[in-house]
Amino acid sequence: MTEDLQYVGGSYPVHDVAQKVTGELIYGSDFSVPGMLHAKLILSTIPHGIVKRIDASRAEALPGVVKIFSHENSPMTRFCRARIHPGQDLAPHDETLFSEHVRFVGDRVAAVVATSRAAAEAAAALVAIEYEELPALLTVDEALASADVLVHSTGNVAYEFEVDKGERPDLEGAVMVSSTSSTPRVHHAALEPHVCIAQGHSTGGMTVWTTSQGVYAARTVIAELLDLEYHRVRVIKVPMGGSFGGKTEYIIEPVVAFLAKETRRPVKLLLDREECMIATMVRPATWTTIRTAFSPDGMLLDFEAASTLDAGAYASSTPDYSVHMCKKVTKLYRVPHYQHQSRAVLTNTPVGGAARGWGAPEIAAATEIHMDRVAAVLRLDPVELRLKNMVEPYDTDLVTGLSLGDARVRECLERGAVAFDWAARRARPAGRGRLRRGVGVAAGAHKNGMFGAFPEASNMSLKMNEDGTFELNASLHDPGCGVVTTMKIIAAEVLGVHPDRIAAGEADTATTPFDYGTYGSRVTYVVGQCARVTAEKVKGRLLQAAAELLKEPIVHLYTRDGAVRVKNDAARAIAYRDIARLSEMRHVPSISASTTYYAVSNPASYSVQFAEVEVDCATGLVAVTDFLAVADVGRAINRGMVEAQYQGAVQMGIGYALYEHLDVDEQGRSGVDGFKNYHIVNAPDMPDIQVLLVEHEGDDGPFSAKSVGEIATVPTAPAVVNAVNNALGTALSELPLVPERIIAALHEPEEVPACSSC
Amino acid sequence: MQLLLTVNGLSHEVEVRPTARLLDVLRDQLGLTGTKEGCAEGECGACTVLVDGKAVNSCVMLAVQARGKEILTVEGLAEHGDLDLLQQKFVEYGAVQCGYCTPGMLMSAKALLMANPVPSEQDIRIALAGNLCRCTGYAAIVAAVKAASGHDATPAMVLPGEADELAVEVATDPATLAIVDEVVEAAVAELTEGTAPAPEAFPSLDAPAGPPGAPAAPPPEPPEDAGDAEGGE
Repeated sequence: MTEDLQYVGGSYPVHDVAQKVTGELIYGSDFSVPGMLHAKLILSTIPHGIVKRIDASRAEALPGVVKIFSHENSPMTRFCRARIHPGQDLAPHDETLFSEHVRFVGDRVAAVVATSRAAAEAAAALVAIEYEELPALLTVDEALASADVLVHSTGNVAYEFEVDKGERPDLEGAVMVSSTSSTPRVHHAALEPHVCIAQGHSTGGMTVWTTSQGVYAARTVIAELLDLEYHRVRVIKVPMGGSFGGKTEYIIEPVVAFLAKETRRPVKLLLDREECMIATMVRPATWTTIRTAFSPDGMLLDFEAASTLDAGAYASSTPDYSVHMCKKVTKLYRVPHYQHQSRAVLTNTPVGGAARGWGAPEIAAATEIHMDRVAAVLRLDPVELRLKNMVEPYDTDLVTGLSLGDARVRECLERGAVAFDWAARRARPAGRGRLRRGVGVAAGAHKNGMFGAFPEASNMSLKMNEDGTFELNASLHDPGCGVVTTMKIIAAEVLGVHPDRIAAGEADTATTPFDYGTYGSRVTYVVGQCARVTAEKVKGRLLQAAAELLKEPIVHLYTRDGAVRVKNDAARAIAYRDIARLSEMRHVPSISASTTYYAVSNPASYSVQFAEVEVDCATGLVAVTDFLAVADVGRAINRGMVEAQYQGAVQMGIGYALYEHLDVDEQGRSGVDGFKNYHIVNAPDMPDIQVLLVEHEGDDGPFSAKSVGEIATVPTAPAVVNAVNNALGTALSELPLVPERIIAALHEPEEVPACSSC
Repeated sequence: MQLLLTVNGLSHEVEVRPTARLLDVLRDQLGLTGTKEGCAEGECGACTVLVDGKAVNSCVMLAVQARGKEILTVEGLAEHGDLDLLQQKFVEYGAVQCGYCTPGMLMSAKALLMANPVPSEQDIRIALAGNLCRCTGYAAIVAAVKAASGHDATPAMVLPGEADELAVEVATDPATLAIVDEVVEAAVAELTEGTAPAPEAFPSLDAPAGPPGAPAAPPPEPPEDAGDAEGGE
């Protein structure tokens, strides 16, 4: 089928690339409205306490200051920043616009609204806040041990979850292996800071412009909080400079909408980097203990795990996150019995929430580091051990009961091992000098949308214009990775026109149909299939019109190069622009269609990644010297962008493995306030990254495509960690592998049996 | 204070505070929002502009320090609307995703190529060390800069709107076109003569496809809802 595809599988730049290279594109942070005011947040400087007094008198006296808002003059209605539709499970309403009870350094205490950003900042510095301090729970252990100090009155454990599936087989003679591991709290580091603009209208309505991954979800939160009917709240997605999950939840949108409603003026809130780091959301830190039983020849018999997740000061999406940490291992490995307990624990630290992979990178780190330990104990090659246990296509996921679809993880591993020359590289000695080399492998699994857990569907419509070009009307939310282009390619393939002949915009609750947005690896698989089905309907109308005119049965016709053409008769065709002329004259009904597409499956997406590292034993610094990412993508819609997204995902994963962590000190303050003390990998430190795509047909996405953006980063960190452990003979399992940890491990090597093949 | 700034070849007289950052003057006073702010501490490079040919972080430079100097921003790269070679290569090599780092990347690369027209890959990576990107892993960006310095590889991307072989459009064949013209002319004639046209010359498109009917000639009796065609007049 591949050779028949004309546009799918090609490589196309993001739809707005020309505007991006010229500086023309207006991002949220560039956006302004005449008469716009500027807001500045005042954040708690203590980790836990009660706001006793707010003295804004000096600030209010400054020229340009319009008003200062805090809990004293704002509604205390609670909302859930992570809720995407009303009535949703696991969506604790535990947050208010401004806090009287502050729960972390960075909690919103107040906001200054002024006529300029400078005035707002100057005024914010003059607002004096008096607190009554409460004991702070800065670690999960402190929070679990505390009976009297509570982050929220409902208790410090925000959520507990357990799965126990299958039957434990007879474990006599089995080899038991245990490990504990941890992953750090990290910053998403989208280059554009969080920003939102809102304008209240004299009609009682409101427009919100936001760099969000889901405008309909934002609307439910804003409208209910401000007691407005939905049709009075228009939320528009504007171009955004990256998200990676960090802009999935509604953190500043409700605040800005409120400020605009109260001041009856347009208001813009643009956070600075430190505010993004501490006061929006972080990838939650996690700790996982795994105990497995293997037969001596390496077959997995039993998998038991316990994960704890630091939810931070508000539960946000961490309850759901903890659930999903229990739903990944059985997508990857066959196991007769799987038991996993997980919990999200509230602490007085930055809020944990949605981040690329939604629990998958966290549990992949724990599982894949564990698998290497098992390989060492059983004296098996890590690739061989994984191959013995990996799922096969169309296996049923033990935990969810859903089909894994055409799961090609085994093929990823086999082809990757050859491409990376795994066996030879693994056999090479690590060296005994200062610089030591090692290689590591890791696999990861993720999903394709929310089918099975959520009413998963998408809506869109597509029409032909009078000149034979097309317009796709859909609630697309492009974080910057090419969502709009993907949809254009899919529709173009169906219609037989160049993607450039199709216009597609982004989400606007007033004009584009309902869609949840860019969540849960659903966009290509679900939204993309909606685009395909919609385009197929339009194609049907084109074929029908052409059949009448050409006096040919539809089965003799096909679409290609902007025309309906006759099979086996290259001379006959009717161009779309001529069908459009007929349509205009009412001889053909409008060439348009609308679709609601309901997802019918949720297969797994996979990636297997191979890393080579060089460790400097004197400094503890690790250089990643080579990297291969193998991707079970089903079908690459936009090949160049799939590869580019993988390359970026590996950058994020290397940072997760080696550098990135956002810790808090004993006062609850972040040790990090900008990129000067939060290192994300830069160009000189990135290795060459080869991307190998495994393509096949067998799932329900458009042209069999599956998700890419999240799975791409899932196995990166454990591949790097396993390579370091291979180089050093260590069993490091606490991320990130900063030099201090590596040096400490070199001085106190753990007792790990050497792998015979190393 | 009054300040004369030369930006992208145009001189501007601006009133600035002595503490104003060059970045804010460019963005807020001159409306050149192509230059981005990502960190405000000279770490991420999104705000990179050229000052007398050298790449600087405009978030940590005072506007007054640029007095009398030639400033080049991303908006100044495309002369007369034609993309600069670097911009073209960024497009062709898929070096842009969210694009927020792109202006800074372009300006750092521009400064490099102005000083060293044939840099090695390591030279490129070092020149871009102060420009952070979270989307691309830098691979496509480095390839684009290489390509702009003559090390052209195979461009990764198909360009929108280019007259490449994928953008071919097939025209209606003459016989079919004659039928279309006839139908349209008949419809126009009916409209101008004031007789109701037949909006349903074709059967419903949702009906199963049968043998082709006689679409070219409108039926003699207009259907009941044909009034819509003229009702508005």
